[in-house]
Amino acid sequence: MSKRLYDLISRVMNVPASSINDDEGPESIESWSSFKGYVLLYELETEFKVKFTIDEAMDVKKVADIKRHLSNHGVILND
Amino acid sequence: MIEKQLSYYINKATELDGQTFEKKIRVALLGSFTLNGLAEILQVKCAEKKIQCITYVGGYNQYNQEILDQDSNLYKFLPDISFLLIDSRTILGEIFHHPYSLSTEDRKRFIDKKIEEIQKLIEVFGKKTNSKLVITNFNIPTFSPYGIFETKTDYGLRRMINELNNKLSELAFTLDSVFVYDFNNFVIKHGEKNVFDYNQFLFGDIKVSLDHIPYLAHDLLSYVIGQLGISKKCIVIDLDNTLWGGIVGEDGFNGIKLGPEPPGNAYVEFQRVLLSLYQRGIILAINSKNNYEDAIKVIKEHPYMVLREEHFACLKINWNDKVSNMQEIANELNIGLDSIVFIDDDPVNREYMKVSLSPVLTLDLPQDPSQYASAIKNMNEFSVLNITTEDSKRGKMYTEQRKRNELEKSTPDLESFLKQLNLKILIKNANEFTIPRISQLTLKTNQFNLTTKRYQETDIKKFSQDQQYLVGCAQVEDRFGDNGITGVFIVRKENAKEWFIDTFLLSCRIMGREVEKGIFGHILNKAKANGVERIKAQFIPSQKNKPIEDFLPNCGFKKEGDYWVYSIKSQFVIPNCLTVRAE
Repeated sequence: MSKRLYDLISRVMNVPASSINDDEGPESIESWSSFKGYVLLYELETEFKVKFTIDEAMDVKKVADIKRHLSNHGVILND
Repeated sequence: MIEKQLSYYINKATELDGQTFEKKIRVALLGSFTLNGLAEILQVKCAEKKIQCITYVGGYNQYNQEILDQDSNLYKFLPDISFLLIDSRTILGEIFHHPYSLSTEDRKRFIDKKIEEIQKLIEVFGKKTNSKLVITNFNIPTFSPYGIFETKTDYGLRRMINELNNKLSELAFTLDSVFVYDFNNFVIKHGEKNVFDYNQFLFGDIKVSLDHIPYLAHDLLSYVIGQLGISKKCIVIDLDNTLWGGIVGEDGFNGIKLGPEPPGNAYVEFQRVLLSLYQRGIILAINSKNNYEDAIKVIKEHPYMVLREEHFACLKINWNDKVSNMQEIANELNIGLDSIVFIDDDPVNREYMKVSLSPVLTLDLPQDPSQYASAIKNMNEFSVLNITTEDSKRGKMYTEQRKRNELEKSTPDLESFLKQLNLKILIKNANEFTIPRISQLTLKTNQFNLTTKRYQETDIKKFSQDQQYLVGCAQVEDRFGDNGITGVFIVRKENAKEWFIDTFLLSCRIMGREVEKGIFGHILNKAKANGVERIKAQFIPSQKNKPIEDFLPNCGFKKEGDYWVYSIKSQFVIPNCLTVRAE
């Protein structure tokens, strides 16, 4: 399931999936602009059929945060 | 129609460098909210149509300053089209939330003031640029603090926005270069709950949700198609399981599905949409593998057929290859393959057409016939910025053309055919009635076009008001009917002795009938009357204008360097099969 998440981030940010890990985020991925951050959240919602709260959306600083919030919505990501 | 996700477009837009394009357009986007992503989608969607779209995105909510400042980057960008997207929240400000903090009279005054502000922006914009301006109208919110009493309230919130939209439409109606994009209708079509997402709005000031920006871009692309004059002219359609359900050769006249009950009503509905397009000027033709007698009997006699023989400019009902039929249809109608949309229920036929004739737009028809009507309605490829009288008559004109072709086949030679046609050319000046059509012909005509110079209505208007120019058009009539305005000339008076033909073109529908010589004869008579000694012209070859290649030498022009020159002393006779009259 992590692969599914990394693939999605890779597609939205236009970076290789191999470069994605839980510590990556807007600080380390150059193409991760604030707008692309919104796009990512929206496409995550579509992909995993969840709806993030505004607090969750604002809390995303790295991939690990996304995993945590997805998990709160019942999405199980096995490594 | 399901759109791709926004990230696809954003990433694809970064890969467009090095792609080859056939056309170019400069698009400015100005708005009162975040427009991120819209430019990238337009670039990609344009590139899919071989159009290079160069975009300028104005600063966040800076549209007032950009328009009012004559030195702004907007004007330096020199846009061809500018989209101004303002949302209801911004235009109404606090009144959006608290409309009833104002009295009824104050609400009316407030709307009048807002329309005055927009009018001022339009006026300033019009003075500073030749760009078309497309303004979005305002969406009417479903929520009202008055709830169910809203509809009984004098000049309530919804009425206020309705009034603003009506006044905006009235304003644009009087201005050739200003258009209103019906954003309110966009919200109705997709649903307020889908277009506006509170989370995205509060988090990123995104007022059109990220999944709906591609749909908005799809609609805005219609203006690009209209501006560039690349809209489709003709629908070529299959019969079995497309225009009716079932196979007439197997199911028989009484066995096909067509009528008021489902599933036959899906085909009736589809035909109704096609008829509405025919009535606004889209040409219809048939390309079907069938026994002619079986199919024509349905077309002529079936009680529930909406489309009849007279609606089709060309009927290829035979057992020939569909690609060969398509080429023959294009030849007979004298239109480019890139003006044609092909509709067929069979995916194999569609794929064959896509591979064999890529300029034809092959529609991916849904499997379910109940969705056929929607598939056509969702297309933006028929978009035009103006529908002239000629456009609405076009379908009928092409049917008349079919009868002309039949006469031509039954006459022994071209000369006797032309004599029997009884061709009459009426030369008209450029005026408020003819200018839209003159501009349209310069934008759309490719084949019999000497210089392929494209002119917007504002350009034609300027030429027509300039004493240095002679601008005219030709209305052509024959025994089968009126072809409408189908010829254009723009002549620049270089000096007292020399005129220059800037533009000379004929619509493809009247090519091959010597009409060009009638029009040239008119220009020549005018030149003689003004004491002109030489008429100069230039043939600018394009990929498509080979049909006009010999026009100048055929009229007696002689080559001089890059130009062609006609000496007034030369002998030129208007063919006697033509009657030419000037208005």
